[in-house]
Amino acid sequence: MNHKTTRQFTAMPPGLIFLVAMLLLVPSSYAEDAEIRGFVENATFFRDHGVGLTKSKSTLQVELGKAFDSGDFFSEVSVHGIFRGSYDAVYDFNDDTFGENSGRSVSFPAPGNPSFFSFLVDGNPTDPPPFPPSTNPVYAGIFPPPVLTGAIPLPGVPGGNIGAGNPNEGLGLVGEDVHHFEDGSVVLAYPTRPCDFDGRGCIDGYMDDDLNELRFAEFNSRWDFMRELYLDAALPAGGGEFGFRIGRQQIVWGRTDLFRVLDVINPVDFARQNIYDELEDARIPMGIFNLEYRAGAKGPFEDLNFQGIWKFEDFRPNNLGQGGEPYAILGAGNFFRAMKNCWDNGCTVWNFPASGLAVEFPKHSLGIRQANVPEFSDEQDYGFRMEGVVHGVGFSLNYLRYTSQMPSLRGGIDADNPFTPQTESQFFPYALAFDIDFPRLTLVGASADFYVEALKSAFRVEVAHTSGEEFPNTLEERLFSESDVLRWVIGIDRPTFIPFLNKTRAFLLSLQVFGQHLLDHELQNVNAQGVPTLGPVGMVDWKNNYLMTFLFQGNYLNDRLTPQILTAYDFEAGSGTVSPSIDWKIDNNWQLTAAINFKYGDGALGFDDNRAANPYPPFTCAPPIAASGSPLCGIPYSSLGVSGFEPIGRFRAGPIGMAINEDEYQLTLRYRF
Amino acid sequence: MKHGIFVILIAGMVGFAHSAAADPFTEEDLNTSFYPYKGWTPTAEGYTPGMVIDQSNADQFQGILDEGLYRFVKDGWVTVRTAATTDFPLSDDYVAATRQYAGEVALNENGTLNNFVAGRAFPQEPQANDPQAGQKLVWDYQYGFNSGDSETIYPFWWTFRNVKTGKVERQLKFEWHFLNFTHRVTFDPKPAYENNPGEIYRGIYGLVKEPFDLANTQILIHRYQDDTKRDDAWLYVGFQRRVRRLAAGQITDAFLGSDLMIEDFEGYNGRVTDYNWEYAGTRNLLLPFYYHNDMELASVPENDPDGYKFVEVEGQGGCFPKVTYQLRKSFTLVGTPKDPNHPIGKRIINLDSQTMTMASLVTYDRKGDMWKWFPIGKAHSDHHLPVNQGKGVALDDYAVVLDVQANHCTTLQFKSQVTDDVNQPDQFSVQNLRKEGH
Repeated sequence: MNHKTTRQFTAMPPGLIFLVAMLLLVPSSYAEDAEIRGFVENATFFRDHGVGLTKSKSTLQVELGKAFDSGDFFSEVSVHGIFRGSYDAVYDFNDDTFGENSGRSVSFPAPGNPSFFSFLVDGNPTDPPPFPPSTNPVYAGIFPPPVLTGAIPLPGVPGGNIGAGNPNEGLGLVGEDVHHFEDGSVVLAYPTRPCDFDGRGCIDGYMDDDLNELRFAEFNSRWDFMRELYLDAALPAGGGEFGFRIGRQQIVWGRTDLFRVLDVINPVDFARQNIYDELEDARIPMGIFNLEYRAGAKGPFEDLNFQGIWKFEDFRPNNLGQGGEPYAILGAGNFFRAMKNCWDNGCTVWNFPASGLAVEFPKHSLGIRQANVPEFSDEQDYGFRMEGVVHGVGFSLNYLRYTSQMPSLRGGIDADNPFTPQTESQFFPYALAFDIDFPRLTLVGASADFYVEALKSAFRVEVAHTSGEEFPNTLEERLFSESDVLRWVIGIDRPTFIPFLNKTRAFLLSLQVFGQHLLDHELQNVNAQGVPTLGPVGMVDWKNNYLMTFLFQGNYLNDRLTPQILTAYDFEAGSGTVSPSIDWKIDNNWQLTAAINFKYGDGALGFDDNRAANPYPPFTCAPPIAASGSPLCGIPYSSLGVSGFEPIGRFRAGPIGMAINEDEYQLTLRYRF
Repeated sequence: MKHGIFVILIAGMVGFAHSAAADPFTEEDLNTSFYPYKGWTPTAEGYTPGMVIDQSNADQFQGILDEGLYRFVKDGWVTVRTAATTDFPLSDDYVAATRQYAGEVALNENGTLNNFVAGRAFPQEPQANDPQAGQKLVWDYQYGFNSGDSETIYPFWWTFRNVKTGKVERQLKFEWHFLNFTHRVTFDPKPAYENNPGEIYRGIYGLVKEPFDLANTQILIHRYQDDTKRDDAWLYVGFQRRVRRLAAGQITDAFLGSDLMIEDFEGYNGRVTDYNWEYAGTRNLLLPFYYHNDMELASVPENDPDGYKFVEVEGQGGCFPKVTYQLRKSFTLVGTPKDPNHPIGKRIINLDSQTMTMASLVTYDRKGDMWKWFPIGKAHSDHHLPVNQGKGVALDDYAVVLDVQANHCTTLQFKSQVTDDVNQPDQFSVQNLRKEGH
């Protein structure tokens, strides 16, 4: 079942074990200089809106460095390692929200079901519905067999219910933390408990953490406790120097904070704290061979460097947080888990085919079949960078061929028609049956930084063109399409004295504006077959979107007291966040940080949810089209644009909008040694 | 002319329509400038080397104490132990470069230099009636021999102290490197690295070793040969794992929370052209010049693996160096920022006439109130680490920036080494920040 235990990380162990041995066992006589430091920390976060504790993570991090006699060949040889272990007590202290006792039996109003069911049974909607008398006909829900549910089983559901393997317990409703389905959008249930307590909806090799893997995040089959471990060596050559850094490491190409444009070499663990954790802590270090040629000053360049990287550790996607975790960016983990459960076990879908109704889908018709996580032998990531300084301007030119760390939902898999009792196992155009894939991408980019005296500001600029990215697209038979993407950022840092606040220490004002443009964007008001739609159909992601971040940071008591306000705003989503915090360095060892993280704005946004597509003609043909006798009813057609928050409006709301109710109070105490 | 004119530069100035003519100088000027104590010893009424100046006799010796030190002695914060004035000769190479090149140096209209190659730009005694005397003095400092051509300071301890309570609030351990790309006199290549497309005059590189929250933070500053060009500066932020361009124009910010601004480094670390400079006379002052190995030293902040010991602290808040002071000839230089928004009203700088180092400074805020006192203890290189012997550098050895308004000080304890063993141009590159960052 557990894909991870068999995959391991095929190219890593020999090298890493060798480095560990070097670090720990090499006789001290060969060690010229050794450093060890680290910290112990507890981070305790509380979330508003009745959620309670979301994090009580205690962390031990140890950093080691050791330089060695480099001999005659190399000019420098050293080994560095960062080891981290943590225990998050939220899964024990708040286990009825995030742990083994989380979730509940779910139900949802489906007032139209009784008459609709009667109509389906005998053509007369005024007849009594075929519910047991004990069942509240106003509510649909999943009840243990043999009791029928209030939902209408589609013909593909064997025996009329979805089976004992999918009981109505330990569940939550996808998106209920963001909205109340007031727009009548689709409602899905997702299992909330760790995968060893409830394996439903766990995606093998992708989102399948058991309780201990959630509690002790670094102790897993990927040896994440060995956060970084690499060998550094330098070799003089040609007036310059070759530099090698081999092992598990972070490589940062970008010049930005909070969001990434070029800084995409390492995947990110968003399950730590959504987008708000320091990238240094949230990046997932990878086994990389990093070769540089440091040419130094050459020609007009004050500094010139060439870099080539090759990632030799098995692919890892971003950790988006699985269903039931406190931090699940975009709510994607909950959605994926619901869809995986639907595929494996069948499921009830409320507000389907229209608001106020509920049906049961059989397994293997709707949902996510599997995640196709690339093997090491498939393709590896590699890239090149030329970087330097010319006339005081720092610049880089970047190329990266890599596997997307974000998942793509690719439709077009073989599935069954839920409206027939047969097992078709075939491709149904526009059907919501997906695999998760990670497409190969090509990034070409550049960056620069410079200082503008007239503005007393330092500027940071990045631009990246990526090809191969995939986005949900309801116009396509497989419900996704590729688009080239142009991303850019301009950052301005300006230390500014505000004498009435502090006459000796400048405040840092740091503004960043990010842009994202989908160059092959599709959004229209007619479907793929030319039928006018009720609303926009096509790609859910914005064609052009802009984000802004602003940091206002001061320092008092000789930098031992650092208050700051960090804000971010997503212009198209209409949502923002404000996070004031204060950091107190009590002494050289102790540090206390208190923060509040507020969100505001539009929150959830709707988009075409594909309810009005016709993947299973004639069963899913829209009544008006059927009534008109249109031949369209006999062929698959794309969505007619009925929209709702779920399931993919989340991609419009973005990570800030989807966290609209995640206001938090955060306290972190750290002891350094 | 007793020793004759070595170089007179009249002809050389043809074509520099906007430049002042170079000033001729004599061998006597050189001797006076570089060897003032050859046959002469500064004196002051009632003063004898070896005496202690404290609260009881501070008024008597006010004239040989800088404005800050007088105040602190008077308030009983510190007593000043004195010693005989001794010679702190700079490297013969530096003197020779002065002899070779100084005659061709002239001031431009904008206050920058023409034809400067190496050595002391203006070895002549400053004249009160010379309106450019202050400008010349600051250039003698700017292209002085404060760190030789190349210097490493490691470890370099910065300790934040509460003056009232003496409480140590924070302690930073640095590694600093200084390299002159041009105007070099001791280490090859001389007088400059040929491969210098950025036309950098000087590189300054600092790496924070402790405390943990700042560890791996690195700073790189490029000062250009064109003094009107703004420095470039970069910061490697350890917790961000990336190089961040600094707004280099903002050099009046407290550096990493200390009482120093970037502009304060080595006494003054800005562009010469950012200030108006005025020569305010010559004084005999008690300045912290001493033989390090003869001082009462301490093994704190840490036991150095080489057995090196640091200058001990004493006095109010532990802000004062436990060293002896020498009565030395100094030039008083008053710097006034041209920027009306600059937080400093003026700097009163006491340049040691022999070494042209900023041995003590007092800064005033824009209201005219005393703000900071900044003495920089200078150790004779022949009485220091073996690597420094014979280098002819008045070594930075101890310093304190005492903020009298905030009752706070930052003490700096140095282990200075004048060497080019590790300081090469590549180390002063942005790429090196990434290389060293872990």
